[in-house]
Amino acid sequence: MRFLLATATKDLVRRRRDSLALLLWAGIPLAIGGLIFLAFGGDNAGPSGRLLVADQDNTVLSGLLSSVYQQGPLAEIIEVEAVDLEAGRERIDGGEASGLLIIPEGFSSAVLNSEPFEISLVRNPAQRIVPGIIEESLSLVVESTFYVQRLFGEPLDIIAATQPVGANIVPDSTVASISVAFNQIVGRTRPYLFPPVIELEMKSTAEDEDGFDFARLFFPSMLFMALLFMAQGLSEDIWRERSQGTLRRVIVTPQRVATFLAGKLLAGAMLMLIVIGLGLIVGRWVFGIELHGLPIALVWTTIAGMMLLALMVLVQLFASSERAGNILTGAAIFPLAMLGGSFFPFEVMPDWLASVGRYTPNGWALAKLNQVFAGDLGAFDLIRAIGFVTLVIAVLTWLAMRRIRGRFAHS
Amino acid sequence: MIEVAQLRKEYGDLVAVDTISFTAETGAIFGLLGPNGAGKTTTIGCISGLLEPTAGAVRVRGHDVVREGAQAKASLGVVPQEIALYEDLSASENVRFWGQAYGLGGSELRARITDVLEITGLLDRAGDRVDQFSGGMKRRLNFACGIVHEPQVLLLDEPTVGVDPQSRVRLLDLVREQANQGVCVLYTTHYMEEAQSLCDRLAIIDHGHVIAQGSLGDLQAQMGERDLVRVSGSFDESELHRAFGRDGDVEVVTVDDVQATLSVRKASSKLPALLAALTEAGSEVRDITVSQPSLESLFIKLTGKELRE
Repeated sequence: MRFLLATATKDLVRRRRDSLALLLWAGIPLAIGGLIFLAFGGDNAGPSGRLLVADQDNTVLSGLLSSVYQQGPLAEIIEVEAVDLEAGRERIDGGEASGLLIIPEGFSSAVLNSEPFEISLVRNPAQRIVPGIIEESLSLVVESTFYVQRLFGEPLDIIAATQPVGANIVPDSTVASISVAFNQIVGRTRPYLFPPVIELEMKSTAEDEDGFDFARLFFPSMLFMALLFMAQGLSEDIWRERSQGTLRRVIVTPQRVATFLAGKLLAGAMLMLIVIGLGLIVGRWVFGIELHGLPIALVWTTIAGMMLLALMVLVQLFASSERAGNILTGAAIFPLAMLGGSFFPFEVMPDWLASVGRYTPNGWALAKLNQVFAGDLGAFDLIRAIGFVTLVIAVLTWLAMRRIRGRFAHS
Repeated sequence: MIEVAQLRKEYGDLVAVDTISFTAETGAIFGLLGPNGAGKTTTIGCISGLLEPTAGAVRVRGHDVVREGAQAKASLGVVPQEIALYEDLSASENVRFWGQAYGLGGSELRARITDVLEITGLLDRAGDRVDQFSGGMKRRLNFACGIVHEPQVLLLDEPTVGVDPQSRVRLLDLVREQANQGVCVLYTTHYMEEAQSLCDRLAIIDHGHVIAQGSLGDLQAQMGERDLVRVSGSFDESELHRAFGRDGDVEVVTVDDVQATLSVRKASSKLPALLAALTEAGSEVRDITVSQPSLESLFIKLTGKELRE
């Protein structure tokens, strides 16, 4: 234990003197955080986009459909612009909008007569989030229309039978009949609706409360990117230990190589703790990102970083030279970062890629961190995850020790 | 005390050390003398536990280095051939770390850091980073790190390589002091003069074999009263062997077209006869050198080559 601490202290003193590397590591999350801050205006603004609506029906109902996007939270995200079909197609082809909604002629009539109808939505393939929101909202409206048709079929039939499509004035008798019909339907459904037979429990998550927060989305990825770069940088030290002969000198002492390696991992973990701690402080109090369970997140991220460091050290030990080690760890780091959600969050990745990425070490740990931030990771799950990571670190350290004793120190 | 018995170390097809045996006693300096690549560092590696022997046994103070590695290593101090220090740490931080590696701590460690830096002449530079040190200072610090825990057995692998004369003298004095304090010292070198002046007992090693061992007196006795005569010129190898083949006082050690080395009993009194015999054997002599019996002449006699080749 004393030698483990001595090794960790020795490495921390050495790192303190290599202040440039320390600054770079600390600067990675800060720099990326700053970029995100600048990219999204620094006010946690959500995504925004333009929806072009080519309304060929031009009725009250078709107007109602496009007005769905001009109310409530959707109005903050989506700006609706009426266009004719040709201009709309031209502009969506030019990537000037997030989507083009085409409401065909006869839409209103089809709804009132409970007939099938077709609405077209052209998505901008260069965007993911806003077109996704538009499509989801449209699906909801179409589904609602189906239920309205089922429930209010009778008054709708009256409207369809007495009112020419497109007319704006409805006779008083028709209004009265429709009102009566509506009243009767409400009367019949009252026992089910007031109070509702189905109890709906509303549960607000942190994300719901805060709205769509891009900085919050990218922040955990940013932390893991910093961890990956740190793990790579710190793992190179095993080559310095070898080239300056200190690794061989350690082997001839009565101490175990595993203790020496554990000390080096501990020093790395301490540095990660500092950098991640700094990142959390900056994220929470400078950029105002709403994060929960900060102390747990700090502990978890540090332990996960230690695992990544142990992995990178093992990769270094299989290289034939320091240069080859750097290339090899670099070749490991970038796919891990890309796949494991450390470059782009899982939320903006295609589902299949995100599900693969969650099986990478950093991706798995990142998913847990997101659970910690959302307050969804229970104590038992956390302990189990920490236990698993500790086991992985022990196995990686044992393999590294075997490699050092077997060939690395002597070649 | 170090006991090496039938030690063999192979690297694939290469036999680096081939069944060598020797014993280094407490309070004495045992030298391993041999040219570069003779197997000295491999032998030190096997004794220190860095390398696992292919065959044979090594015991340090009665502990087998393979089966009882921790006990054997605890009494060992190793000063490696390479300077194994953290360049970005200060002298005292280096000594502290290697002291902690041998279980020292607290006031005992602090006292030892001061002691070893003082005896190596580095106390006034204790707080300076090693990357600011000269080569000689690094060598001395390398030595300090090897003795900080007061080992009972000290392995020194060519500790004076690349050192300035002043630091070399200081280092050799430090090694003698260790032996005088009762430490068993195993010292490897390819400097014949160093081995001759420092070591109580010696093993001469070449191509992984011990070719001679004993005290300096024992080894010099193997040369008898014979001097080594190096002759430059032109020579007929077969004629030379024919000329001196039956002469018990002259032995041909090596001969080629331009140089001959002869082992001659009391050479100084026989030089005129020797020159006449060489001329008779068809040789043309341009230069002749006579050396007194020494380790180097013994090495040449045993291996047919110079120690520094």
